[in-house]
Amino acid sequence: MTLPAAQPLPEVLDALRERGLRRGVAPLPGEVVIPAVPTGHAALDAALATGGWPRGALAVLDAAPGHGATSLAHDSVAAAQAAGGLAAWVDLSGTFDAALAARRGVRLEWLLLIRPADGAEAIELAAWLIRSHLLDVLVLDLDGSAVPRWDRLAALLPRSDATVLLLAPPALRQAAGRVAGVRVQLERRAWLAVGRDLVGLRTAASVTRHRWALAGGTAELDLYFGEGRRIDALLPALAVPQAPALEQPEELPALTVLSA
Amino acid sequence: MRVLALVWPTLRGLEDAAPWEALLDRLDDLSPRVEALETGVALVDVTGLEPTHGSERRVAARAVALAGMDPVRAGIGDNRWLASLAARLAVPDRDARAACRILPAGEGRATLAPLPIGLLPAELATRDRFSLFGLTTMGQLAGLPRSAVSAQFGAEGERLQALARGEDPRPLTPRPRPERLATTARFEPPAAGTTEITLALRRAATALTDRLEGRYLAPGRAILTLLRDAAPPLSVVLSLPESSTDPDWIARLLLARLEASVRSPDTGTDEDEPAITALTLVLDRLAPPAARQLPAFEPQTGRWEELRWSMERVAARFGPGRLWRATVDRPAAARPELQARLVEIGHEPG
Repeated sequence: MTLPAAQPLPEVLDALRERGLRRGVAPLPGEVVIPAVPTGHAALDAALATGGWPRGALAVLDAAPGHGATSLAHDSVAAAQAAGGLAAWVDLSGTFDAALAARRGVRLEWLLLIRPADGAEAIELAAWLIRSHLLDVLVLDLDGSAVPRWDRLAALLPRSDATVLLLAPPALRQAAGRVAGVRVQLERRAWLAVGRDLVGLRTAASVTRHRWALAGGTAELDLYFGEGRRIDALLPALAVPQAPALEQPEELPALTVLSA
Repeated sequence: MRVLALVWPTLRGLEDAAPWEALLDRLDDLSPRVEALETGVALVDVTGLEPTHGSERRVAARAVALAGMDPVRAGIGDNRWLASLAARLAVPDRDARAACRILPAGEGRATLAPLPIGLLPAELATRDRFSLFGLTTMGQLAGLPRSAVSAQFGAEGERLQALARGEDPRPLTPRPRPERLATTARFEPPAAGTTEITLALRRAATALTDRLEGRYLAPGRAILTLLRDAAPPLSVVLSLPESSTDPDWIARLLLARLEASVRSPDTGTDEDEPAITALTLVLDRLAPPAARQLPAFEPQTGRWEELRWSMERVAARFGPGRLWRATVDRPAAARPELQARLVEIGHEPG
């Protein structure tokens, strides 16, 4: 990457931050840096204003089923692993799909999968893992049967380096609200398609709560299924908003955006 | 020298060596010289045991009782060949699970003389040649001049003739005794809280591992026994994920396993736990400390190794079936559930 030599330092730092390369750059005098784990999406990192999910915090992903919460969790785990981190996935719901996670860039050899017996045990196991100070991202994928003790997690998290991403039904997300450091609302705006195949979804992410920065940041995320990352790299300029997929000639596959 | 041979037919060819090793450990209490000939066959030097155990038949009975496993055939002779042959010839009574035959001391040659020559450990071709020469009993072979046997049958013939005369110069090769380090801490008055036990356990682990570190050895197993006031002793056995001399981790893992066993319904709950009067820590299965080549250029490797130790504690605390790792074995499989496989951590193949 080349940067203009004549740019003043703050602008250079801003440019680095926009590219997700804030790590390793010393803070300016008076600048407060919140340690963070990348989300896997530069736009969301910028919207969060901390360069990613703040470490030592519970991040609640508010999304209805099919709006991209699990995909965003996959991307965050993959990004943390790419930065040299370790991740764990507490799979109380028993729905973790290893093949899908691998296709989305998650390195399974550095992912610990936890299968607790019930919700209380899920929180207890999460507490053990957080106390180990060895994890960067912990995904808590809970189902409706769990009645977690959020106060226990809240007491542990500030002293840890891990970010806990919560995937849970609405009632549990509501209960976790008071201990959440960050809340991000996800809403599907469009489907992404190549030819007749749906390859992903476009989701609007808005930060509705942030303990260390102003809430209200928004970002538009393209979350791809399966081999989406490769498609994203191959077809970045071919997105045609609102173009119906069926009108695309089949011999010229292109990424199209269908209204949700 | 008097040798006791013990043969357990049911153990021969057994793949799992653990019960066999445990049996040999028990025989160590009888004699310091125990040789494991093969799985299921042991030779014990019983020279000079009569004053403490009585007649040789009683010594054999004591060995069988110590081993605690039957059916068994025992034989006593002047050397390993005579003892093995005696065990082979021992015939149990009708319903007995053990049989014993004793060849009197110094009478090996006379005892063997009427026995068929086929009992000698000879190859089939040599046996055929023996029969061609009309040799059918061991006494016939033993009575021939050594030079004549050597001329006809070579060195092998000389060896077999020596056996037929009841001579076997091969010494007993005792197995090395498995080394174990132990230390005991006593509590006066008895300890009721976990703090004292934790401190004493750490101190004991440090004392033992310090002794091992100087010899570049590390334990592969730790056994913690708590003697309790008016209650049976409580014991936990921990096989370490890898041989290590880190006393802190050994103590932590033992405590985690201890907590799990105390919490189990078999041993009652925390509230009615009796006071602890003494603590014994044993470290065994000594080996050089584990050293492995970690994959280069993978920043996660070091921390994952640390995490493995934490996972051992989690497994001890929560039981099996909680910690998994996923692998995608068949990425091209049509059904998604067939593409990936979950492997429980700690039970990975290979």
